[in-house]
Amino acid sequence: MTFLQPLILWGLPLVLLPVIIHLINRMRHRPRQWAAMQFLLAATRSSTSHAKLRNLLIMLMRILAVLALLIFLARPLVGGWMGWALAAAPDAILLLVDRSASMELRVTGADESRREYALRMLADAAEEFEHTSHLVLLDSATRQASELPNAASLLEWPDTKPTDTAADLPAMLQTALDWLIENKAGTAEIWIASDLQASNWQPDDPRWETLITAFDSLPQKVRVRLLATTQESPGNASISVSQLSRQQNSGKGEVRLAADLNRSQSNAGTTTITRTLNDVATELEARVTGQSTRWRHRFAVGGQAGGWGKLELPADGNPRDNITYYRYSDDHPPAGLVVTESALGPLWQAAASVAGQAGRTPAKRYAPGDVTPADLRDATLVVWQTPLPKGEMANALRSFADEGGRVVFFPPGQPSTARFAGLGWGEKQTSGDAGFAVGRWDEDQGPLANTDEGLLLPLAKLGVRQRQQVVGQAAVLAAFDDAQALLVRQALDKGEVYFCTTLPLLAWSEMGDGLVVVPMLQRLLAAGSRRLQRDSVAECGQVSAGDLQLEWTSAETDLRGDVQTQAGVYKNGDRWLLVNRPAAEDEFERVEDSAVAGLFGSLPFQLFQAQRDDTALQGEIWRLFLFLMLLALLVEAWLIRPSSMAEAAPLKPQPAAA
Amino acid sequence: MPEPSAQPLIEADVVGRLMGQPLLARFPMEGSVSGHHRSPHRGSSVEFAEYRNYVPGDDIRRLDWRVFARTDRYYLKEFEAETNLRCYVVLDCSGSMGFAGEHGTRLDYAKRLAATLSYLIINQGDAAGLMHVTEKTATEIPPRRNASHLQVILDALGQMRPTGGTRLVPMLHELAEKARRRALVVILSDCFCDGDELRDALQHLRFQKHDLALFHLLDPLELDFEFDRPVRFVDMEGSHSIVTEPATVRAEYQSQLKRFLDKLRDDCHEFNADYRRVTLNQPYGQVMADFLTERARHATRA
Repeated sequence: MTFLQPLILWGLPLVLLPVIIHLINRMRHRPRQWAAMQFLLAATRSSTSHAKLRNLLIMLMRILAVLALLIFLARPLVGGWMGWALAAAPDAILLLVDRSASMELRVTGADESRREYALRMLADAAEEFEHTSHLVLLDSATRQASELPNAASLLEWPDTKPTDTAADLPAMLQTALDWLIENKAGTAEIWIASDLQASNWQPDDPRWETLITAFDSLPQKVRVRLLATTQESPGNASISVSQLSRQQNSGKGEVRLAADLNRSQSNAGTTTITRTLNDVATELEARVTGQSTRWRHRFAVGGQAGGWGKLELPADGNPRDNITYYRYSDDHPPAGLVVTESALGPLWQAAASVAGQAGRTPAKRYAPGDVTPADLRDATLVVWQTPLPKGEMANALRSFADEGGRVVFFPPGQPSTARFAGLGWGEKQTSGDAGFAVGRWDEDQGPLANTDEGLLLPLAKLGVRQRQQVVGQAAVLAAFDDAQALLVRQALDKGEVYFCTTLPLLAWSEMGDGLVVVPMLQRLLAAGSRRLQRDSVAECGQVSAGDLQLEWTSAETDLRGDVQTQAGVYKNGDRWLLVNRPAAEDEFERVEDSAVAGLFGSLPFQLFQAQRDDTALQGEIWRLFLFLMLLALLVEAWLIRPSSMAEAAPLKPQPAAA
Repeated sequence: MPEPSAQPLIEADVVGRLMGQPLLARFPMEGSVSGHHRSPHRGSSVEFAEYRNYVPGDDIRRLDWRVFARTDRYYLKEFEAETNLRCYVVLDCSGSMGFAGEHGTRLDYAKRLAATLSYLIINQGDAAGLMHVTEKTATEIPPRRNASHLQVILDALGQMRPTGGTRLVPMLHELAEKARRRALVVILSDCFCDGDELRDALQHLRFQKHDLALFHLLDPLELDFEFDRPVRFVDMEGSHSIVTEPATVRAEYQSQLKRFLDKLRDDCHEFNADYRRVTLNQPYGQVMADFLTERARHATRA
């Protein structure tokens, strides 16, 4: 049992108050000369044991009443059934259930997952309120409010089943808030069951502040109870494909993929990964070091047709995050397009060339005035080294990027107010003799990532003498020592736009040796080929509205699948949809208890840690102690009532004589 | 110890109301002079008693000649003897008689009863005496008829103080042995003594054919036992002291007291003693009036 006002427990010595009052009362007795002593002595003798027992009981009742009053004032919380059952019944109880993949982690020593545990606890607690309160389920996957007929149905409700989605707690609370406003509920309680995964809770999200302000301004009283399912769990490992590309050289196809392995343990060793490719399973060994390992793998594929498969880890604490799906699409030859007037045109043409059966095909090259939107039709990469496009060309280039193409802008040399995707060119800067040194760059992903062999691109040795600043907000993929950007990225719908701040001219940099610019452009060329593919890739729960309109069949089971909640490879005619668990769902980081409490600000909030003890769901039970106090006072009043015998037969004088 | 009450022992208006009603004995009395109480002996009063056969030695002047003329047999006509009354007022002066409730002390009440009774008895020509004992002293004023004797009794009453334990029972036994002639014995006491011993003493008096009247004096507080907070009760006749919560023992106390009172009443009824339970909140004049009326009615029936 815990207390909301533990300071009041300092008043516990007050339980001795009845004893002290009794003693004081005894001390202030009056002396009285008494004649009929023989009856008094006899009465005292015969009623001593009974009177003592009664006095003891009276004293006990008074002590109990004071004790119950003190505990009542201290607002006790008690766990388990009793706590919830004895708490006051609100008009509506909104059950916010985290159905994210991480909730499928098994609980050590129990044959159930965190989600199953949470559902069981919620159902048990809600059972006491099913006749007095509206039970409304709001799950993380659908974020649709549905009223439950009774508490037990929570366990069988379709919207409480496991999913491969992530949870967005601020969005769930927003839905709960909307429901409360729309339904004009009276007093309400929000019961949240979650594992406090940081990526789900997003404690830094500005929506929290707005939400809590909105809850505070509601006319009705809303209380929040959080069941944190953070129990001990068996070791767990997860896998997710982070990169996949198809290389086609001389009629031979090869798929290169990188998968991230996250583990709860940090010991080095090997693990078995079962790779399934077009229904053929192969067991592979992977070396793992530390908690996070990037595993790179390549395999040959024949022909031009696409394919799909999955990577699977052995069974562990969470079976839900052991599988990741991948899909490599049909071979669409990439094509580069270079727009420049400078002498660097041939270099870029070569860097963006495509290998084919008849050798490498250089990228097409256009002068700035000659290029038309129609020229972009088959391109996957556009290299633009001329003032930023305007008008119709700018729109065409924007559409090109939105469809999945990649555009790389190189500095034109003159500052301009023109903008593309929010970015533009600023002042040109020239360094001294030392040049600008590249300080850091993204080695894991993007065009400057390490090679398949794990080798770094030689950016550290890259000498840069001149650069042109980028104006606007964008992700910095590589930066100089003075924090100025070398390469920035602006993500658009399906594609990306890059701004490189130097040129492969000797006057500008040593990029012209090709050790950086070639792999960079080759990677962007391959990535841009997505523009030509008819494959969709989505995170579970984030499937676009357009794709949701279609009827998808699982490639694995040939059955109709729920692309919104279940990961897999789905097919609709000649279209493919790859749905994977969100990568953030594999992160083990959780929000601290104090941080969670802080998120709810001034809202009445109670956190029940399932990890702390097995009586997790706690509730205020002040009513019990109020009842106990009244009961004790009633019993005390009954005990001290005047004797009925004495009332019924008063002694009166009897004047008549025989 | 409470001081004697400033109230006069005899109140003129009370006595004035009571004087019209004579105090009569319920049983034949043995007096020394002629009076208006029945005597166990035949006498020369106007009250016819019986006829009986003449036996040699009888005074022939008492033969009923009319009966002899009609029946030719010798009969004597006998008449009731009427004698005076000798009354012993026995006053318990033990410490418990000093109990003071809202209506004064028990002893004061008893004194007023004793004084009024003595006055009425002497006033109607009968003899009144007074006996009172404490634990250490015993005082006896033998019954006398003369008016000056009343002052002796009143003086003695005025000097009485409640003290010590009760010796009522031995005194009653002593009285039963000492008073050879039938008399009216009026006992004024709270009877807080052993019930069986008191019963024996009363029975002893009745065995000696004394007319017995017991005024059992009780304070309402003793009956109701109404206290609202703990009290240390100090025994008025001993050294006992007890601290108790009256509410917790009240029922049992009343039960014990009721048992005692019922037994005493039943015992008195059994051997035809006149038992009168008096609470101190009753006007003593009314108590006396009831007493006299009841006796007069009884005498008429007899």
